Amino acid sequence: MKKIETDVIVVAAGLSGLAASIAAAESGAEVVAFEKANTTGGAANMAMGPLGIGSSIQKNQMVPLTPGEAFRKHMFYTHYTVDARLVRDYYFKSGSTIDWLMDMGVEFFGASRAFGAPEATRAYSDGEFTWHIVKPEGGGAPGPRVAATMIKRMSEKASELDVEIMLETPVKRIIMEDGKAVGVIAKDKNGNEIEARAKAVIIATGGFGDNPEMIKEETVYEFGKTIFNFAIPGMKGEGIKMAWEAGAGRTETKMELMYQLPDNMNHFILDGAFRQPCLWVNKNGHRFMPEDQIANTTHTGNAITAQPGMVAYTIFDSKLLRKYKKKGPDIISHVHPHDLYDHFDAQWEKDLADGYEPIAQADTIEELAEKAGIDVAGLLEQVQEYNDMCAEGYDEIFEKERQYMQPIEKGPFYCCRQNVGAYGSYGGILINHKTEVMTQDSKVIPGLYAVGTDACNIYGDSYTFTLSGNTMGFCLNSGRIAGENAAAAVQGF
Amino acid sequence: MKIIIDGKEIVAEVGTSVLRAAIDSGVFIPHLCDHPDLEAVGGCRLCSVEVEGIEEVVPSCKTIVQEGMVVKVNSPKADKIRKMAMELILASHPAECTGCPKYGKCELQSMYQYMGVGPERWRMKSRTIANDDSNPLIQHLFTRCVRCGRCIRACRDLRGVKVLDFQRTKDGLRVGTDNGVSLKEAGCKFCGACIEVCPTGSIMDAIGIIKEDVSYRDSVVPCTSACPASIDIPRYIRYIKDGDFAKAIAVVREKVPFPKVLGSVCSHVCEDDCKRNELGNPISICKLKRAAAVHDHGAWKKNVKRSNPTGKKVAVIGGGPAGLTAAYYLVKKGHVVTVIEENEKVGGQCRYGIPAYRLPDELLDNEIADILEEGVQLITGAKADTPKALLEKGYDAVLVSCGTHQGTMLPLKGNDLEGVYVNTDFLKNARLSAPLAIGENVMVLGGGNVAYDCARTALRLGAKKVYIACLENTDQMTATKDEIEEGQEEGVILHSAHSFLRIVGDTKVEGVELQKVDKFYFDENRRPVIELSEGTKEIILVDNVIFAVGQKPAGTDTMGLELINNAYVKTNDNMETSMEGVFAAGDVVTGTKSVIIAIEAGRKSAEEIDKYLGGNGDISEQLVYKESPNSYIGPCPGFGDLERSKPKLLNSNIRKSSFEVVEKTFEVDTAKCEASRCLQCDLRLNITKPKLWNEY
Repeated sequence: MKKIETDVIVVAAGLSGLAASIAAAESGAEVVAFEKANTTGGAANMAMGPLGIGSSIQKNQMVPLTPGEAFRKHMFYTHYTVDARLVRDYYFKSGSTIDWLMDMGVEFFGASRAFGAPEATRAYSDGEFTWHIVKPEGGGAPGPRVAATMIKRMSEKASELDVEIMLETPVKRIIMEDGKAVGVIAKDKNGNEIEARAKAVIIATGGFGDNPEMIKEETVYEFGKTIFNFAIPGMKGEGIKMAWEAGAGRTETKMELMYQLPDNMNHFILDGAFRQPCLWVNKNGHRFMPEDQIANTTHTGNAITAQPGMVAYTIFDSKLLRKYKKKGPDIISHVHPHDLYDHFDAQWEKDLADGYEPIAQADTIEELAEKAGIDVAGLLEQVQEYNDMCAEGYDEIFEKERQYMQPIEKGPFYCCRQNVGAYGSYGGILINHKTEVMTQDSKVIPGLYAVGTDACNIYGDSYTFTLSGNTMGFCLNSGRIAGENAAAAVQGF
Repeated sequence: MKIIIDGKEIVAEVGTSVLRAAIDSGVFIPHLCDHPDLEAVGGCRLCSVEVEGIEEVVPSCKTIVQEGMVVKVNSPKADKIRKMAMELILASHPAECTGCPKYGKCELQSMYQYMGVGPERWRMKSRTIANDDSNPLIQHLFTRCVRCGRCIRACRDLRGVKVLDFQRTKDGLRVGTDNGVSLKEAGCKFCGACIEVCPTGSIMDAIGIIKEDVSYRDSVVPCTSACPASIDIPRYIRYIKDGDFAKAIAVVREKVPFPKVLGSVCSHVCEDDCKRNELGNPISICKLKRAAAVHDHGAWKKNVKRSNPTGKKVAVIGGGPAGLTAAYYLVKKGHVVTVIEENEKVGGQCRYGIPAYRLPDELLDNEIADILEEGVQLITGAKADTPKALLEKGYDAVLVSCGTHQGTMLPLKGNDLEGVYVNTDFLKNARLSAPLAIGENVMVLGGGNVAYDCARTALRLGAKKVYIACLENTDQMTATKDEIEEGQEEGVILHSAHSFLRIVGDTKVEGVELQKVDKFYFDENRRPVIELSEGTKEIILVDNVIFAVGQKPAGTDTMGLELINNAYVKTNDNMETSMEGVFAAGDVVTGTKSVIIAIEAGRKSAEEIDKYLGGNGDISEQLVYKESPNSYIGPCPGFGDLERSKPKLLNSNIRKSSFEVVEKTFEVDTAKCEASRCLQCDLRLNITKPKLWNEY
């Protein structure tokens, strides 16, 4: 068996792992990172940018939010159910982390937010300007995957600092001796085992979004049945399992909710086209939320979870479709093509012809309900009530913004089922604010750290969608915290 | 020749492209349609560069180096073309990688990480093309295709199979077969080269082929990874295809000293994992090995690796496949090895357990002779001293490999009646030509291969009616399909899914009472659960009952070693027993397994013992020069439908009255033909992996 010795071992070189590797190496430690893919960055290559609060960019943009204010908002949102000290350390570090990235050559478009709440609910539900969207190397507008360029810069930085990144070499388990983490066993692509020993091991494998069994065991959902999450390949939960095996305490794990169509990659136009504040009902045909809130995808995912069968149905009529085509959508999504409706007909016809099961079209509401599997009487009654309120110009049930009160009256009618989705999982490994892994009774396991999604226990029951960029923000900052602490501990030896 | 790229002087070979020259000297130029093993076509334009003296930007993959050529990669003009090229590629690629299993191994992903591409480039209308998982082994997910054409070039130029090409459809240019027929109809040879060169997740192994918990090599070549001894199966099958049996057998012999025995009786788990199963039936690997082995004239012997004498002495207790294998390799490592065998002859279960109609003595003797020729000393017909005594006598190490020669009986009422036998006694006596007396009707209890050995031996000894009864239903039985079929042909009457309640009789066996089993399974504590079906009791009248329900080691209790379940020798990962210098291997450790598992245990114990005696533990050898195989496998219409060849069997009427070998060896032509069905999965591993930007 090949043997390696170093100061700090990082398990997986995604965003958290890279941050940890760079931070540790900058603090003078020798670092080896094991990555099972042939590329660094993991899920972050798909992403747009991290949260930062108090960055130089925000200062230049005169964004007034302070780390303390974000901290209080976060704690209020989570009802103080989470580790306040960790949240505090994270937010207070996050501004400097953006500048740290800029020093590596990462450029940002500026600070943005994931969504804006409708005017009436803005006071408590608006997105904050915390989201630092990365400028892609080749230029171009903000959008999915732009963060790949940040990964490139970080990978270059890591290599400049002599971090050894062993690609296609997954870690299999942590070596524990006398209750301490002293290394890992990894396997290279030829199946040969490597025994690597170090004074600190940092776990950063990115959760279990791509592990249906774990989703079933650890959450209320079943993949492919009640949840259609981004199963970003490789997110198998190995790090969490390894840590538990090594004696780490367990925390509640959650899915980072949103909503989407099944197999949305192949039906992306429809996925975007139905994200509008038209008529949303559940299986009984009943409305269940003010549709003007659907831009908060986390909350909408929660709302859909609460419905019978964990599904919802979005319905619009021909008149609305014509309007969307002509004037554009009521709510603009930042992830979907801006010219969705130009391609709507082609995709719709094709998917109908192929029998894509979540969609239905009919000339009457009755027929639509039947085809879609919604209670017929319930939907008929609901459409009647909704259209009456539209005529009145006021939603007396949910007080939805009045400009969205557009009746469903002219066939053909279009319906699309919405399923619960998620970006991935969060939580699992119990850590303290130094990202040291702890046992169930809160004793630190010496030498073991966990960061990023595997140890993201700070969101409570729902992802903090309003403090945008939070997933990557936590990954980066927890990674940095771990890297610095691990290097300090190593040097204290 | 020297050229200059971005101010850096590099040395290039005459005739190579600028791209190749750059890559070979560690300078990265983006590229996608180019592949180190394929001819450049200059299609994707990602490798565009500026060359001094040429107006237009040129694709570096198609530009041949010239002395003193000055190349600029980082030039605004080239940047612009490259960016446009990337935009064109991404224009039709899905904007989301989620759900794409290639993520993390995708060249396109690495390329966009390097180039950084604004999302508006992804926002074009994506052409969705339904995934096609109707083909065996290969799935097409052409929504992700970037039309680089690598798969087509690999299929056409690298392999010569020529089933893939660009096809014009109403939705644009697509990769596919002519007239859109299935891969099988098109004559695909399922070699997987297209999968290997695809830079995106457009052509992939069917779901379940690539296993997460094993190495890529093991997933790609499942036969070799399934083989306990890791024999390089595709390599020797290829030699058989070419009619080069001497080389084929040398390949087998690099891992095992018993090719003929294995060709006759191997449990061939390799065939279970053969990818050809997905197209119908697996390659007849086991029987091909035998076909090659009969042509073994010992050409491999000149390459055998022998070490200088070490002066160390090893005693091996038990000369079965494990012990003989260990002895063979230990002798070659320079140790003096003595095999002590209780029976008159060595061979273990191969001689005294497996009936002669499956494995005749001559064949076994023949292979053992090769082992003895290396200088292994034999003491037969003698009970070995205890390991401790052997060490005291001056042996430096002892290997316990005495197998499992004691048949077990179930605690069944009537098991002490006259006419009740156990498998080991029954088979061994038959082999010694001193068979135990049997009447006209015989029942064998048990559902494994040994039960069939007993039943078919009983028929050959003159029994008129032979029954097999076992708890398992036919699907659960551990006996191989071939055994069950051949047994049926010979007239064995099978009562599967039956429980045996008692053996009936006063002093002598008169019958067995059976009852049908409704369900038979193991609970969560791995305890067997039997649910019987009411009102199905029956008594079958027989004169003899043979227990074939397992066997265990004999005599281990007096060896002074730590045991498991009072019989099996306990070892650690290094095959060491509780006594220093004493090792154990084979059935005596694992319980009754297969010959191939015993041989592998013999090899492993030889390595460990050699290390213990101060050697390096390296028993590997190369008995034939490792040629690089011809990757141009050529076309073969109807390849996917080629049927598995079956060996000729002796007529069932003749065979049940004699111990003549039942199965004929493949003729040379049949063997070559059968071997040509091999998908040669291993060829894929010889395809070069393009280096990604982060590896420079």
